[in-house]
Amino acid sequence: MTDPIRIVVVDDHAIFRSGLKADLDSRIDVAAEAATVEEAIAVIHEVRPAVVLLDVHLPGGRGGGGAEVVAGCADLLATTRFLALSVSDSAEDVVTVIRAGARGYVTKTFSGAEISDAVVRVAGGDAAFSPRLAGFVLDAFGTAAVASVDDELDKLSARELEVMRLIARGYSYKEVAKELFISIKTVETHVSAVLRKLQLSSRHELTRWAVDRRIL
Amino acid sequence: MYAPLVRPADRIIAGVCSGLAAHLGLSVKVIRISMVVLTLASGAGLLLYAWLWLLVPTADEAARAENAAFNPRNIAGNFARNFGGPRPAGIPAPPGPQPGTGAPPQRPADNPAATAAAAGPTGRTRTAELMQRGGWEIAVGAALVLAGGAFIAQLAGFNVPWETWLPMLAIVTGAVLAWMQLDNSRRNGIMDRAGATGAQGVVRLIAGLVFVVAGIFILISGSISWDVMWPTLLATLAVLAGVGLVLAPWVVKYWTDLEAERSGRIRETERAEIAAHLHDSVLQTLALIQNRAASEQDVTRLARAQERELREWLYRDKRREEGNLVDRIKAVAAEIEDAYGQPIDVVAVGDAPMTEQYEALIHATREAMQNAAKHAGGSISVYLEKTRGSTDVFVRDRGPGFELANVPADRLGVRESLIRRMQRHGGEARIRNTGNGTEVHLSLKHPEEGNHS
Repeated sequence: MTDPIRIVVVDDHAIFRSGLKADLDSRIDVAAEAATVEEAIAVIHEVRPAVVLLDVHLPGGRGGGGAEVVAGCADLLATTRFLALSVSDSAEDVVTVIRAGARGYVTKTFSGAEISDAVVRVAGGDAAFSPRLAGFVLDAFGTAAVASVDDELDKLSARELEVMRLIARGYSYKEVAKELFISIKTVETHVSAVLRKLQLSSRHELTRWAVDRRIL
Repeated sequence: MYAPLVRPADRIIAGVCSGLAAHLGLSVKVIRISMVVLTLASGAGLLLYAWLWLLVPTADEAARAENAAFNPRNIAGNFARNFGGPRPAGIPAPPGPQPGTGAPPQRPADNPAATAAAAGPTGRTRTAELMQRGGWEIAVGAALVLAGGAFIAQLAGFNVPWETWLPMLAIVTGAVLAWMQLDNSRRNGIMDRAGATGAQGVVRLIAGLVFVVAGIFILISGSISWDVMWPTLLATLAVLAGVGLVLAPWVVKYWTDLEAERSGRIRETERAEIAAHLHDSVLQTLALIQNRAASEQDVTRLARAQERELREWLYRDKRREEGNLVDRIKAVAAEIEDAYGQPIDVVAVGDAPMTEQYEALIHATREAMQNAAKHAGGSISVYLEKTRGSTDVFVRDRGPGFELANVPADRLGVRESLIRRMQRHGGEARIRNTGNGTEVHLSLKHPEEGNHS
């Protein structure tokens, strides 16, 4: 077994932090905690964790919450990955923090094992998508837009659409892989590609979708 | 490190001396005395003072510019700005573009678009500042040109009525001083209310003023001789303008106080509404949970129902119309969840107003969710996708699964409620054992909407 993954937990509720710490499994080592935006940026720069479990709504800073922490740690994005964690599942919160640079989004109703899986996945450089996030992606990119070239930023490829649909239907990565007769690694590649598109696309429809919801 | 050069709020004339003192780390007295001394040296101090007054922003303006530059929702901008050079929170950024010293070397190179975007917003605010300053510079320049022209005219032998011009100059200076006491937002507020923002507004304002002046002109030109009218008209205008500009700050202050009070009242109403909601729902549920603490299932069910309700209240997508397909599916899911205590997650893409076909779809979805909750247990995922030409609903559980062939012929639930109902309404229902639970796929086709996107 390899070394546990060092993470920092950022959340303003002490009760939630200690509960989460108890729930995470042995693959994960909580190196530090933080409760505000400033504290989080300082602690992350000091500890240099592999993954930061980040609440979307945080006090302090300029009111930007989790997205502001990601922006404040932009110089570490090559080594430190961010996984957003929230009770909120509004499109605004989810897409804001993903576009800021987070590599996944899980809700606090997930079990400790599910969150641990997501942390491991994000630490490995992949993206952690929940059914709801997949739903937002399909909503934003449209369900019929098919990219002619795979790396076209504004559209999803047919395969990426299939993967997103299955995740939205509640399939785990493993089940998606089985369903589409591909390896889990390939599923992860597709999901990472979708994440990249979600972060970088300036597609007209995506912008309009976001503006309608006052996200950008 | 020097303090930033800004004009502080407590000031005697325009705050130039105290700002300069803070910036250079000298006492205010020293600066003031040297200003006076410089002024004696053929007015150099006066010129320096006027120059700094024009170019140095007030503390308020500087703070506002700093805040305006950061918008937590402007993710792309902040992201790009951070590539330009990381800055710890709390330390204000220098107003100009930053040198990209601390940036990771690969970032600007592989992401030129981001760096370009970073230059964009700062560039825009700088332009706005320059334009604002430019306005002042043009006004001062025009005044200087006029004064110079008048001076040359006198040298050339024309008779310039200095005794008229000097009092007017005094009035204008007084008005400018009064105007400078207002900060930028109040000035903008006045401009807004006068409708003087934007080129059209300015034209309208000027045209209105010209008409008023012309009216007065015509009114009095009949009774008073031309010689007397010009100076009288000018004097009247000057007095009116002076009084208006001097009184403006107090009027605006009164107005702002009124607005602050009004927005305070609105906030108070909002807070009362939230308190009422929390009381009606959350507190009641918490009380219920305490009563039922013995039954784990009841507690989970109550907590889940309350969470759903609060979520709907807080995060509801305001644009979505009520009573549409997505709303109805969610309502049915909530009902089943309450009845069986199994969490149901609904993810929806697209929406549509209700039709008869959709009623059938909702009945079938209810049947599928009910089966899953009753027989499978555990969490249930519902995915609704409405595209042009078709509507699909997937209901997935993680139970042991079943084969349709093994269901006794007299059990009507699946065959009648799901499969036949969907067929009657031009759709179909497929039931699949995924090996790790069951998935029901209900689909409707809408050929009239066209099958392409």
